[in-house]
Amino acid sequence: MKRTTSQNIALYAGVVAVCAFLLFPIYWLVVTALATSAELSQLPPTFWPESPQWETFTKVWAERPIPLWLLNSTLAALGSVALSMFVSVLAGYSLSRFSVRGGHSLGLFILTAKMLPATLLVIPLFSIFRSVGLIGSLWSLVIAHSTLIIPFTTWMMKGYFDTIPRELEQAAMVDGCSPLSAMVRVILPIATPGLAATALYAFVLSWADYAYARTFLTNEQGSWTANLGITTMKGEYVTDWNEIAAAAVFIAVPIIVIYLFLERYLVGGLTAGAEK
Amino acid sequence: MASISIQNVHKSYGALNVLKEFSLEIEDGEFVVLVGPSGCGKSTMLKILAGLEPASGGRILIGGRDVTDLAPGDRDIAMVFQNYALYPHLTVRDNIGFGLKMRGVPAAEIRRRVDEAARILAVEHLLDRRPKQLSGGQRQRVALGRAIVREPQAFLMDEPLSNLDAKLRVHMRAEISALHKRIGVTTIYVTHDQIEAMTMADRVVIMKDGVIQQIADPDTLFQKPKNLFVASFIGSPGMNFLAAAPANGAAIRLFGKEVPVNVNADRLMQAHSNGGIVAGIRPEYISTDGGGTEFIVRPSLIESLGSEKYVYFDAGEHTFSGLNDEEARKGLIARLAHSSPLAEGQELKLSFDPARLHLFEGKSGEALN
Repeated sequence: MKRTTSQNIALYAGVVAVCAFLLFPIYWLVVTALATSAELSQLPPTFWPESPQWETFTKVWAERPIPLWLLNSTLAALGSVALSMFVSVLAGYSLSRFSVRGGHSLGLFILTAKMLPATLLVIPLFSIFRSVGLIGSLWSLVIAHSTLIIPFTTWMMKGYFDTIPRELEQAAMVDGCSPLSAMVRVILPIATPGLAATALYAFVLSWADYAYARTFLTNEQGSWTANLGITTMKGEYVTDWNEIAAAAVFIAVPIIVIYLFLERYLVGGLTAGAEK
Repeated sequence: MASISIQNVHKSYGALNVLKEFSLEIEDGEFVVLVGPSGCGKSTMLKILAGLEPASGGRILIGGRDVTDLAPGDRDIAMVFQNYALYPHLTVRDNIGFGLKMRGVPAAEIRRRVDEAARILAVEHLLDRRPKQLSGGQRQRVALGRAIVREPQAFLMDEPLSNLDAKLRVHMRAEISALHKRIGVTTIYVTHDQIEAMTMADRVVIMKDGVIQQIADPDTLFQKPKNLFVASFIGSPGMNFLAAAPANGAAIRLFGKEVPVNVNADRLMQAHSNGGIVAGIRPEYISTDGGGTEFIVRPSLIESLGSEKYVYFDAGEHTFSGLNDEEARKGLIARLAHSSPLAEGQELKLSFDPARLHLFEGKSGEALN
């Protein structure tokens, strides 16, 4: 059905409105970082500072251990991605391909772990980490984040593997692969979009965490993640909102870059042509 | 190339027996087709043969070697799947060479053999493409290339043509037959299409509900079906079935006449008391030429195919309700080769040669002649 001009205008207006709504917080973060303190408290607010304070970024980068915090966040997120992908790829593949007695119930049981609020696990996890000496270590975050990520990513991967015809690994096995090598050589390369989406989900969930970092990391500033560090920038009497906003921009940039990098993998369609 | 021996193989899922005591000896270089309706166990048998499904019992020997417990890759067989199962992330060249690579064949040798297979199947110009850039027929050829490049002991083909359109299916059917004649590898081919089975096979195995109904060459299946199921499954349009009564001696009563048959009177009486006598006559053996047993009908439907006509008519008192498929509901069919004008509802004299009659026992369905 061909759209009329007025329908097109309405459609584009709607798209622009939604985009503006979604992008406004990011835009306002940048404006806040670039504004002076006076401009921030001014009413009505300015929508673009008269003289953008670019030096706020260099000041925050130099004065605060932002690079170290970003490194810690990156290590915790990459560790969580690696651990949760390793487990959820194997578990998702098993749930998708092997029918064992009670397998479906086990799969649902794994998913129920996702239904628990993250804060419910804080106390038992803290108790375990303290007894094994992981408090203050980034490993505590890697493990804790994985407990939140794995239930969901296992089902994400299962759902993706379900869409891949079984005949592909059967063909690979007839061609001489073992079940494991059929998965590695044939199924995983085809599942790249699913793997990318799952990894991105895991990375974002770990990167965005504050509660676990606040609980499991000590007062040693060098072990903080970026999200934890940024909350300490709020002073008791004076708060430099532009500096906090500048730090927040630094924290947001890696996620945006990763998304841009993985975006082409997120688009499906790689399996086209495998079968009729 | 090798002979294949399937000995008492059976498969059950819990209480459900999908394959019951399947035994079959396949000679070296033979083309055997397993055919039957959906759910008859033919694909399950093929997967067990490939090692993709474990059998619940029985033994499989390929080239005299017991492969029952071997992994698919160790059985030295190649398989062509219904949906082609080409690896979408690999080029055609890598798809065809994948099995050789897995077996550690040197790269130069892989290249030579892939080129040779591509030449045989006329896909040389497609070697650098990916599966999604190919048409259905080209994908099917690549799937065949992946099988022949390995030079295996046997080919297993699981309904490889069912995803192609009718015209291409006929073409690929001939290509597969020609390929088999050329390379002579033992082939087991699964299909639900009786025309594929009849045109391609050296021998056909007809299956129903996990049980072999008959194993024979195509001509024998057509001329000497062992039971009602085989008689109804083979032939297009299918065989006409009529409920018949025994007459005096070696004869049955049909259309008010005594029709002599080559079954003795005792056997006829036994069948009569055992579910009744079912007479079968193929549509192509009914004619308007006269002679033999003649009868008058009023066609309810006439379909013209140009070179021949399908004339449908009611079986009247001889209606056989044992088969409940679409054609049985349409009534009886005569396949008339000549093109003289015929009209629905007008009297038409038809006849058949009693020697062409097949007789079956109603209850067991077993052939009497």
